[in-house]
Formats: sequence, C-alpha cells, structure tokens
Amino acid sequence: MHQVVQLLARGTAIVGGLVLVGLVILTTVSTVGRELGIGEVNGSYEILEAGVAFAIFSFFPVCQLYGAHATVDIFTSKLPGRLNRLIAAFWEVVLTAALILISWRLYEGMQRYIGNGETTFFLQFPVWWGYACSFAASVVTCIVAVYCAALRIRESLSGRDLLPTA
Amino acid sequence: MSNLELGFWSFPILLIMVLLRAPIGLAMLLCGFAGWYFAMGGNPNVLLNKLKSETYTQFSSYSLSIIPMFLLMGQFATLSGMSSALFKAAESFLGHRRGGVAMASVGACAGFGAICGSSLATAATMSKVALPELRRYGYSGGFSTATLAAGGTLGILIPPSVILVIYAILTEQNIAKLFLAAFVPGILAALGYMLTISLYVRLYPASAGTRPPQPMSERWAALAKTWPVLVIFGVVVGGIYLGWFTPTEGSAIGAAGTGLVAVLSGSLNWAVFRDSLLGTARTTAMIFFIVLGAGFYNSFLALSGVPQFMADWVLGRGFSPWFVLSIILIFYLIFGCLMDSLSMILLTVPIFFPVISAMDFGMSPEHVAIWFGILVLIVVEVGLITPPVGMNLFIINAMDRETPMTETYKAVMFFVGSDIVRVIILVLFPAITLFLLPG
Amino acid sequence: AQEVTLRLHQFLPPQANVPKLVLDVWADKVEEDSAGRIKVERYPSMQLGGKPPELMDQAIDGVADIVWTVVGYTPGRFPSTEVFELPFMMTNARAASRAYWEMFETHMKDTEFKDVHILGTWVHGPGLIHVNKEVRTPSDMEGLKIRGGSRLANALLEKVGATPVGMPVPAVPEGLSKGVLDGTTIPWEVTAALKIPELVDNHTEFTGNALYSLTFVLAMNKDRYDGLPDDLKQVIDDNSGVEFSVFAGGTQADSDGPAREAAAARGNNIVTLTEEETAVWKTAAQPIYDEWVAEMNEKGIDGQALIDEARMLIDKYTE
Ligand code: NA
Ligand code: NA
Repeated sequence: MHQVVQLLARGTAIVGGLVLVGLVILTTVSTVGRELGIGEVNGSYEILEAGVAFAIFSFFPVCQLYGAHATVDIFTSKLPGRLNRLIAAFWEVVLTAALILISWRLYEGMQRYIGNGETTFFLQFPVWWGYACSFAASVVTCIVAVYCAALRIRESLSGRDLLPTA
Repeated sequence: MSNLELGFWSFPILLIMVLLRAPIGLAMLLCGFAGWYFAMGGNPNVLLNKLKSETYTQFSSYSLSIIPMFLLMGQFATLSGMSSALFKAAESFLGHRRGGVAMASVGACAGFGAICGSSLATAATMSKVALPELRRYGYSGGFSTATLAAGGTLGILIPPSVILVIYAILTEQNIAKLFLAAFVPGILAALGYMLTISLYVRLYPASAGTRPPQPMSERWAALAKTWPVLVIFGVVVGGIYLGWFTPTEGSAIGAAGTGLVAVLSGSLNWAVFRDSLLGTARTTAMIFFIVLGAGFYNSFLALSGVPQFMADWVLGRGFSPWFVLSIILIFYLIFGCLMDSLSMILLTVPIFFPVISAMDFGMSPEHVAIWFGILVLIVVEVGLITPPVGMNLFIINAMDRETPMTETYKAVMFFVGSDIVRVIILVLFPAITLFLLPG
Repeated sequence: AQEVTLRLHQFLPPQANVPKLVLDVWADKVEEDSAGRIKVERYPSMQLGGKPPELMDQAIDGVADIVWTVVGYTPGRFPSTEVFELPFMMTNARAASRAYWEMFETHMKDTEFKDVHILGTWVHGPGLIHVNKEVRTPSDMEGLKIRGGSRLANALLEKVGATPVGMPVPAVPEGLSKGVLDGTTIPWEVTAALKIPELVDNHTEFTGNALYSLTFVLAMNKDRYDGLPDDLKQVIDDNSGVEFSVFAGGTQADSDGPAREAAAARGNNIVTLTEEETAVWKTAAQPIYDEWVAEMNEKGIDGQALIDEARMLIDKYTE
C-alpha cells in the first residue's frame, strides 16, 4: 500500500516537474528568440500560467506525503510524544478535509468554465482546460492526503512513527 | 460582531492554531474561511463560490511562477558543482587568515546567493561543501554551523530572492528595482559576517585553525573556475534590470542556464534530475499552500477593514514615522524567533505596508516602499538564524549531528548582532539602499 | 441610519480616472440619495482577492455586491457586447454608451447577463494607434508589433499585416521602451499614466468612426438587489441605467482631451486621418465583420442584425 501511494505521489510530482522544465524551456526559447530578433512564441504566457498551475497542484502529493508543510514546532515539541502524535493526526485530518474541499470547489469551477465558454484572451483556448489538468492533479492530492491522515491516526493510536518526515 | 471585530479576533485565533502546530498555510486558510463565513452572516455560499476559482487563480500566476523556476535553478545549481568551485576560490584567497576558512564560506555563500533565490537551499548546499573543510582545519562545531547558517541568509539577501518577489507582488512594486536595491545591503551583510568572524576568532582563538597561504597563480585559477556563476548572475539579474526580459523570463533563463551547466558538468543523470524535481516540488507546494492561505486570509482582512483601521489609528495618534518603523522592525525580529519568513511577509505586509506608505519619511512613495521592503527582508531573514526556531539552524544541525544545538545557538548570536547593527545603519541611512536606483 | 452595506470591488487603484471620477461619484450619490441608509464600501485593486477576469463571477456569486469590469476580460461569455468593440463601430463614447444600454436592455439583459443585475454599460473614448513611425494607410502597419486592446482589435491588426502581441497593459511601457513593441492601441485617457507620448512619437486618429473601443459594465449581485427594500431599490434604479451609462462613458472620454494636449505639447506627430483615408481602413476591416457574424451565427446569435442596430443607434445618438 505504502509503495503504491509513494509511487503515485512521486510520479505525479515528476510529471509536474517535467511540465515545469518544459515551461522553463518554452519561456527561454521565446525570450531568447525575441531578444535575438528571431521572433517569440507569442502568447506563451497563457501556456505558462495554465502549466504552472498544473505543476503546483501536482507538487502537493509529495509535500503531503513527506509532511513538508511549514509549521511552528517549538511549543508542541515540549509535549509528550503521545500528545504530539495526536496533535499531528488532528491537523492532518483537518488539512485533508480542506484539500478535499478545495478539490471539490475546483471541480465546480471547472464545470462553470465548461458551461460558460470562456476562453483565454490571446490564444483563446478554453479556460476549463487548465482547470481540468489541475483538478486531475488535485484528485491525486486528495488520495495521498486521505492515506496520510489514516496513517497519522494509526500513529497516534499505536504510538509508533509510520510516515517519513521531510 | 462587526467585521472589524471579526478581523481583530482572527489574530489571536490564528496565533493559537499556529502555536498548536497547525500547518501555517492551513491556519490562515481556516481563519479566512471562518472570517468570510461569519462576515456573510453565517452563509457558506459566498465562501464556497469564492473557492471555485481562488486556488486556480492563485497558482496560475505569471509573476508567482518565478518561485518554482528560481527553486529549480537552485536545485540545478546544487548539482552543477558551482558550490564547490565557489568555495575553493574563496578559500584560496582567504583560507590562510585567522578565521579565513569561515570567511571563505561566507564569501562562497554570497556567490551562491547570486544564483539561488532561497536561503535554505544556500545553507544546505554550501554546508555540504564547506562543513567538512571547516572541521578539517580545526574550526569548532558551533562556530562552523553558525557561520554557515548566517551565510545561508545571503541566499535571500543577495538577489535573486524569492521573498523579494513576494514582497514586490504584495505591494505592487517593481521587482527589478527591488533586486537592485538589495544588492548593496547584501554585500554589506557578507562583509559584516566576515568582520564578525574576525572578532569571534580573536575572542575564542581556539575555535579556528590556520593553514599556509596558496600561491597567487592557484588562487586565480580557482577564481576562473567560477565563471558560470558570474555569467548566470550577470545575465539573469542584469537582464532583468536592463529590461531585456521580465523577472519571470529571467527566472526561466536562469533555470535553463543553470540546468545546462549541470548537464555539462556531467553530474546530471536521471536519478539526480528526478531528485531535483522532487526537491523543487516539495518546497514549491509548501510555499504555495502558504500563498493560498495568506491570499484567502488577506482578502478577509481587507473585507474586515483592519488594515485601513490600523493605518488610520497610527496616523491619528501622530506617532513619528521613525518610531512606527522601529516598532514594526522589532515586531519582525521577535516573531522571527518563531515563524518562517515567507509566512510572516505574507501575513503582515498587507497590514503594515498601508501604515508605512501613509507616513512621510521625506522620500518618494516608491523609495519608501523599496527601502521598507529591503529592511523587512533583512529582519525576517534574521529570523532564520535566531534561536529557538531558525530554519537555517535546523538544516545545518541536521547535517552535523555531532554539534549540539546549544553550541550553534551560542555562536550564532554574534551573527545576529551583526545583522542588528546592519539594520540600524540601513534605517539611519536610506541612501545606502536607494543610491543605485534611478531618479 | 445605515441599513445596507454594498461592497464595490474593482481592479484599478482608487486614484485612477474611473474609480475617482465615475465610481466614487456614483457611490457617493447613492449614499446621499439613500440618506445614509446605504453605505458603499469600496475595495480597489482586487483587494477582495482573485484576478480581474473573475470580477463578473464575484458579482454573480456575491463575493462582491457590485463590480466594475471590462467585459472583454472574459472572452466568449458575453459575445453580443463585442458589437461595440468591432473596428470602426463607435463614434463617441456618449453616443455609443447610450446605444449600448439600449441594446443591452433589448438583447442582453435576459440572455447573456441574466445571472447578474446590470447598473450601467459604457465604452471608453475612441481607441487609436500609438506607434514609433508615421502610420497613414493600413499597409504602413506591415510587420509592426502592436499590442491590441481587444480581441477584435487584434484581429484587425492581423488583417493589416501587423503582429498582435499578447501583453498585459502595465507591461506596455517596458515593451515600447525596449522595442518588443512598435506600438499599441489604447484611448488617449490611459496614455498619460503609461507615459506613451514619451515612448513613441506618432499617434494616428480616425475621423468619424474610431478604430475600436472596449465595453464595460457596472454589475450588481442579483439576490442582493432583489433583497433590497423597495425604496432603496428605487435609489439604485434612479442612479443606474441609460443616464448613468452615458455619464460614465462621457466622463471617461472627457479625460482624453488633456492627455491628447499633453502629447501635442511635447511636439508629437498626431495624424488625424480624413474621412477618405479612414474609409480605406474600414474596407480593410470588413473581413472582421464577416468573420464575427459567422462566429455569432454559430452561437445562435444574429450578428448582422446586431451590427445594423448598433450602427443605426450610434448614428442616431451622434450629434
Ligand atoms: Na539570492
Ligand atoms: Na528564528
């Protein structure tokens, strides 16, 4: 189970990372082309915006899996391990709920743009395309988040660390 | 309860959640949710509708896309062998002096900061190269880790800088001008750290060893090997400043160039490349979750009218601008002991910036905004090395398990002192920050 | 005493022309006419979150109660409004805004804008070309890189052999200064803030019909409007509609004059094409009309009828 989730999270992040590298190349080629007078990739900023949104959404699963979110540990670190695990489990569950809420609303946002025919300004591709890619990545985030929340609860019940830390 | 009261109540609640170890982005998001919910009279519809587009909009941002690109650039820079080239060059010039290897570490950090937009990455990367060398030449554990933790902050103080990008977006300022303004204070920081080192080794002669000087020819040869850093920094920061391209384009070119150097250095195989993508992914998601939470929370604060109220209140009291500025900077120093810099900037700049920009410092509004940005950048960066919560301290201590944290805490206070002296100088003489700027 | 608070959200800073001269005036008037029972809270610069293209949805969803937005920010959603953005359609902002309101009421109110309560519809003053060489004929545009102000302005640029460049407005000065752009289309009003006359020396105006214009709306959340007590609804009604639209468009266009004078005072070359010279451009623009009508037909809208009606109304209201 753990290996499947890990593969899913890492695989998604790598796909997102490759998209990011692709955007780096696209933007570089476009910019260098323009400066050298060869001509730029006109409207590439709209691809960049949609692509980077997908990349960021696809980076969430690994962030979730490795517990990489920024926290302030100073006070809780003084607490006994049992209580500490309980607190971690609590926030993991709340975080998972928030991520599911975000994904659900993202889906509704996508539905709205499918329905209203809105396109981007310059390249005029449908806005919902960007939403759809991002939503797919955020579904993976939800799966990984639910898995992590379940493990954190088990950690707090069993008193053993199960998840990797950053 | 009025919206204003809601806004004020959200501060202690946010703080309690953060201190109870809630992910900071989540705490802000929850406060934003609750704020919009109650401000709409207990109706969740507005909140739910707002969420339909809020996340996608925050993430599909042309200007914020600089952040993953600079992070990727930092990852590639780590692999490209530039960090060790920089260290060797600095070490060959400074290594034979008393405390020289430590000074060289700071110098190399400054050089690495010129191609890396993040403090943590600079601290971690340079530590890999410099920590073993410092220990080899007999530098004490706490002094070594403290030096690298402080040196790491140069990653953000010297442009390019992720924090300055966020500040520029929050306050609608020109990123290129902020980068330019950060340059001299960044150099001052490096010089200040070197001065601190020479003071420290005089106070604690046992904490540092020496080695014989190297011939000049070897020094120049070592320096020559750092040319890719110079070229990339020149093209990225110079190009952004001269208007050849936008900061986003510059970050892409920087990432592409650094990636190319990494490929040519032969160290970029698939496993390494994959790890650099995963490293970028983790940090990017961490940052953007905070960006999302802060965006939501800040829209609620605007709705509640808190920033406007605070600005009116401070102005109504007739406080001197310098007094208000000092209070704000001290606030950052204190909270920097607890919170990470990005969260602090995202959380507080929307509240403090209207206050500062409404006051008369005898400068143009743009200059005030840039100067304040650099000051805030420095004080939040001090937070990275102030005990007890200093991200740079944690990172380096994790790489040097033998040195107890308390040793690092003791030695790093000297660098914190140097930071505070620098902040005072920059507050008293705004021209140091602003003289490079046109008009 | 205050009973109703309306949140007005928009994307410009408070000191810009439209917030200062149109929206604040409107909001103050509403507050005054309601004897203080309505308070209009003003949120400039997208303070309530989101990007400008989302303003319309924020009004529909109630994130804001009232928004001011550029209809063209959401391409594809309000296609009928584009009839006023067609090249060489508008003459002056007052006439076009009046025609826009009239056609909004007959054609768009219950269709494209059915989810929101519209308070005003207007266009900005005549859009023109600002460029680094003298432009008199469409062929002078050959090979120039120009930022077009609207989807249809971009289409026209392509027709005359120029390259439309996709770029947000704030990036225009930088684009012009480093030669990424040879020019831009924009009304005079905005040129001062963007320092256009200092960056390019030539401006080409047209006689009769203007090159292009953008359409704006002031939109209110529907439930919010419906939920107002009748007398406050009346206050809103009294301050919205055709007269407000003409005031808004007219006020915006009145800022064109001083900006044009400033360019002239710098010694810039302002070319005003004669009616005959403008006619050449209109001919070049004809394919845009045909394509637009075809696009509208695909959406089940009689584009030609909209064009004819808009022309008729604009002529009628142009003195
Ligand atoms: Na840097
Ligand atoms: Na700290």
